[in-house]
Amino acid sequence: MKKDILREADYRYNFDRDIYFNRKAKKAFSLEFVDDKPEEELERRIRESTNSAGWTFYFNSTPPEGVKRELERVLG
Amino acid sequence: MAERTVEDRLREQYFSLLPDIRRVAWQLETEIRFHTLSTLHKLKHYEKLVIKPRIKECESAIQALRRRQEGGTFDQEKPENYSLLRLPDLAGVRVLVFPRSILNEVDFALHSHFSLWTPDPVPDGMGGALAQKHIGHCAAVSSEIQAEYQIVPMLIGLYWQVEHSAIYKPAPNVKALRDKADSEPLERLNANVVRALLEFEAEYERNLKD
Repeated sequence: MKKDILREADYRYNFDRDIYFNRKAKKAFSLEFVDDKPEEELERRIRESTNSAGWTFYFNSTPPEGVKRELERVLG
Repeated sequence: MAERTVEDRLREQYFSLLPDIRRVAWQLETEIRFHTLSTLHKLKHYEKLVIKPRIKECESAIQALRRRQEGGTFDQEKPENYSLLRLPDLAGVRVLVFPRSILNEVDFALHSHFSLWTPDPVPDGMGGALAQKHIGHCAAVSSEIQAEYQIVPMLIGLYWQVEHSAIYKPAPNVKALRDKADSEPLERLNANVVRALLEFEAEYERNLKD
């Protein structure tokens, strides 16, 4: 199950924002993304390395800069 | 002067809509009471039918709209993207029934009257419906404001009142719950409670028939 894949990769669920996040990996997956994408893609995205120093957001619709900034603030 | 946020604009919209939201809730409650009268009049002493109107509060409506956005966050640069009229439940009525066998009768009576409303059943996780929910407009009062009515087994509905206010609503703000509300033990226990309540009702009804 997708939830188990995320849990095993140390992703926690932010109930308020409906996103799975991992502070160490600095990645966040929206609930919509997790629901819509197949498990294989989710696993691939969890594994892939990101060059960015900031957070990487996996959303169905690219989040606007203002939304990214707010989520970065919330996720810390 | 500080710039108005999306939330500020939505608060203004809420209070301009509030008189109509109230009218929709009154209308819906009245229609539902009328169309369930025949069930109410033949209830046995142990059977229950309780009708509760509800108006979504301002902050609750704003938070509900925010959580409908992907990532649960408003884009403060695009306030025009947001309207509380997108919410399906600014006004609502919950019909609580016991035992569960009354649920179908009430659902049928109301569905006949609200035939244009869209069904949105609450899944029970086993391919069935835990509760019935319908979304639509009270056209006589407002063509803009969406309302919903739910028909819920009373034991489940009363449990939800506690569970929602204890876990679902404070979770964003209560540190201890914030990252744990979706945790496996709570989820499992919640499912066990729901199953136990349903089994209690099923057994109760079986005993009545014997």
